[in-house]
Amino acid sequence: MITWIRQHAFALSRALRQIFKPRSGFLLNTIVVAIALALPFAGLTLLENMRPLSRQLAVEPEISIFMKMDTPREKALAAAVDIHKIAGDSKAQLEFVPREKALASLNEKSGMSDVVATLGANPLPDGYVLKLAGLQNSAEATRVDSIATQLKTLPEVETVQVDSTWVKRLAALLHILQVALLFLALTLGVVVVAVVFNTIRLQVMTQREEIEVSRIVGATDSFICRPFYYSGALLGLCAGAAALGVVALALQPLNDAIADFARLYASEFRLAPLGISATAILLGLSAALGLGGALMSVQRHLSRIR
Amino acid sequence: MIEFQQVTKRYSAHSTALADINLSIDKGELIFLAGPSGAGKSTLLKMIAAIERPSSGTVLVNGQNIGKLKTSGLPYLRRNLGLILQQQRLLFDRDVLTNVMLPLVVCGATRADAEKRARAALDKVGLLDKAKSEPLSLSGGEQQRAAIARAIVNRPQIILADEPTANLDRGNANKVLDALKAFHGVGVTCLISTHDEEILVNAGRVIHLDSGRLIDAGQPARGHA
Repeated sequence: MITWIRQHAFALSRALRQIFKPRSGFLLNTIVVAIALALPFAGLTLLENMRPLSRQLAVEPEISIFMKMDTPREKALAAAVDIHKIAGDSKAQLEFVPREKALASLNEKSGMSDVVATLGANPLPDGYVLKLAGLQNSAEATRVDSIATQLKTLPEVETVQVDSTWVKRLAALLHILQVALLFLALTLGVVVVAVVFNTIRLQVMTQREEIEVSRIVGATDSFICRPFYYSGALLGLCAGAAALGVVALALQPLNDAIADFARLYASEFRLAPLGISATAILLGLSAALGLGGALMSVQRHLSRIR
Repeated sequence: MIEFQQVTKRYSAHSTALADINLSIDKGELIFLAGPSGAGKSTLLKMIAAIERPSSGTVLVNGQNIGKLKTSGLPYLRRNLGLILQQQRLLFDRDVLTNVMLPLVVCGATRADAEKRARAALDKVGLLDKAKSEPLSLSGGEQQRAAIARAIVNRPQIILADEPTANLDRGNANKVLDALKAFHGVGVTCLISTHDEEILVNAGRVIHLDSGRLIDAGQPARGHA
């Protein structure tokens, strides 16, 4: 175990020496990889910030249920049980709106009182407003349509109005963003692996003599490969950290611009940097991409030297 | 300790480096491989180190069949060998001491232990005062002795030296040979290839090769087997 740790410490020190060697190109390669990583990281930051925003916007989609005009008040009130059953959601809120209250509400709206006065009798039926819990994806939005269809089958119900289109649009937009981000991340992940692959290839070529001598004196392949693996992982890690730093720095001017826009909607919305766990995962992924590129490069080029 | 049984090595249909070699080398022998350039001396040494594999026949080193040795087993075979090449193959981006420490580092030795043993090896070849020198600042003979120090630092059972005195003047050639003979004196099996006839005078067992064929297997010395 001690020998294993010692050999890893040696490999790490070799990798660090290689990195800090003059003209090693490490800084330049880190910048290239960081740029490639910064795009998906920025996209992820945006998406992570939009998720709670979309939840806020999608809070309690409403379904308006209008009773038939000739439905007695008792029957209209009794329909609440059936409506609750169909909603099937313990978090759903159901509010009975008597026709008198509906008319009063209509009267309060500017410009409508004159129109209502000309009608004589109250033309509005009793109704309900069903508020469902927030919808986070298009599948849940479809559930709203299903509930509305079932509500229409109730004998006391004349009309059901549901406006879930915007919820579906937002959910679909978020889904598109997620897929696009995944595609972007995959594409740029390949770029990162390719850059690391080439960097390690050059390192293997410049250290060809050392590799051959090490083999002659009894070095195992693991011993020879390890410093290159560390180099690749360190390149990925440093580039990941740099990319996260760039994204965090970019948030400040972006938030200033967003604040002006959000104020128009009486919102305090701001883009926040990623949390600690997300940051740790992204750093781990960056290191893993670097390691992956190094693994492929070393396996390919060491076999040629052999 | 080392056995060649009907060993042939072909690089192509028209290029045969070794042809039907039968040879037996006992533990502790000092052997000189003689013959002109292209005789097959280097190929024979490379086969013992498993750098080359036989096209046919069997090479046994400490009972291990080189032809059937897996790649993963090579490092452990080579840790028992000290290989000295005509080109010293020292690493010029580090000092002499670090070069000599390399075989110990690859085996997982601590830095302190590796340095102590590397200094002892350099002392044996008379280069302790050059431990912190850059290899390029050494003369050809000193570089060759540094390569010998690297080859013996791991206390190998066998030393394989391929033309170690080539490109050296007589004085430096004698120093290199004296260093190698000193290790033979403590029971290490030494195989030294050369085309220098002067070295072969009173050399003990000399194996003659020519155009890949064994001309004379020499007489095994008594007392070391």
